[in-house]
Amino acid sequence: MWQMAENDHAVVQAILSGDRDAYRTLVVRHSQSLFRLAFRITGNEADAEEVVQEAFLHGYQKLDSFQSRSSFGTWIYRIAVRCALDRMDQRKMGVAGGVAEEIDAQRESAHTADQSAGPERLLLSREIGSMQEAAMHSLTPIERTAFVLRHMENLTTGEIGSALGVAPNAAKQAVFRAVQKLRRRLADLRENP
Amino acid sequence: MKHLSKEQLIEHYYGEDGADVKHHLEICRECADAYAALGRDLGALKAPEAPDRASLYGEQVWGSISNSLPAYRARGGSWQRAGLWRKIGYAAACVLLIAGAFLTGGRWERKQSPITATGDDAQIKQPVVLVVLGDHLDRSERLLIELKHADASSAAAVFPLSEEARDLLPANRRCRQSAMQIDDPSLASVLDDLDRVLAELANEPGGLSASAITRLQTEMNTDGLLFEIRVLRTRVPDKNRSGIVQSREEHYEN
Repeated sequence: MWQMAENDHAVVQAILSGDRDAYRTLVVRHSQSLFRLAFRITGNEADAEEVVQEAFLHGYQKLDSFQSRSSFGTWIYRIAVRCALDRMDQRKMGVAGGVAEEIDAQRESAHTADQSAGPERLLLSREIGSMQEAAMHSLTPIERTAFVLRHMENLTTGEIGSALGVAPNAAKQAVFRAVQKLRRRLADLRENP
Repeated sequence: MKHLSKEQLIEHYYGEDGADVKHHLEICRECADAYAALGRDLGALKAPEAPDRASLYGEQVWGSISNSLPAYRARGGSWQRAGLWRKIGYAAACVLLIAGAFLTGGRWERKQSPITATGDDAQIKQPVVLVVLGDHLDRSERLLIELKHADASSAAAVFPLSEEARDLLPANRRCRQSAMQIDDPSLASVLDDLDRVLAELANEPGGLSASAITRLQTEMNTDGLLFEIRVLRTRVPDKNRSGIVQSREEHYEN
């Protein structure tokens, strides 16, 4: 990992010296992990792909402000978080609509976790997955992002605040609100499926 | 026995709390049950499995963005020049903002106190940034003093606190960024703490109640923050320190 970070710094220097194609190395190296992150935050495959592209575009444009104190992976990860948050805000406002119809079908396929499991287990897994996704939809974009970063990405409150560009206490409050809403929503869904 | 709050239970679940919560859970059945229920709910929430991407996914991403990327030129190239102009533009905008903040601060100061600030030639020559920082610390100090003595039962007394906090927030963030840029961690840390207090004051849902004020004073240690700001204030060259803050403090103490 350390060696990779070292390599990333060398690649960044090469890009800033005019070797545009060197950026390809960074894109190839970090695309998969950014996609997983973006998918967890947006809950949607098409949006996640858009977020990955936007993050790398923004990353390239801001590369001269990248400081070697952090790793490129961490830096681009934060950019992707912001892009995902913007994407969800846009979707909430209806700007990036048009994919809503596809979402359910994609989610359906996304939650077929273990194809080798028996049909009953598969059904249960799908049911839990769709309940969870329905509950996640009750969150605001910032609550959802903060929760994903805390619960699924295991970031600390400070790191979440830094990624979202808010004070740590605001990040903590967003996680609290998300947990409370999710629990209420899941309880409702269990009672009235 | 005082039970744990939901926030404390959630913090404990994510490992961001003190040992006293763990101890409480060992001796309090009710909280232990609530914590177990929370654990069951959160434990059931799994990260959604992302659809598989082909091994060539990275290449596909590169293919979709590569045409939009102009090459950087070695030192002095177009991107660097653009960056330089951006920085010059940013610096000009900062000077305007600083001047605006200075004028606003001055007006607020005159409105709050009949004492008129005086200056001399040496003070006028001080760097503008230090003057702005000093002004910001003065205003923050006054706000914290007013918070310390706030009468939560009086809406007229409490409302200006939220307004002033909202007004101070952007300036505080600019000062904090500057502190990080000049690598002054102690200043940045205090301004970071101040940022949280200001954000809470500005965004307290339902306005500032007595309990919200007490919570802010205890959880965010606003007295400690006030002390730190006073210490910092001594590091910044005096700008028109005419005893305004001191006289207001004395006014409250009396």
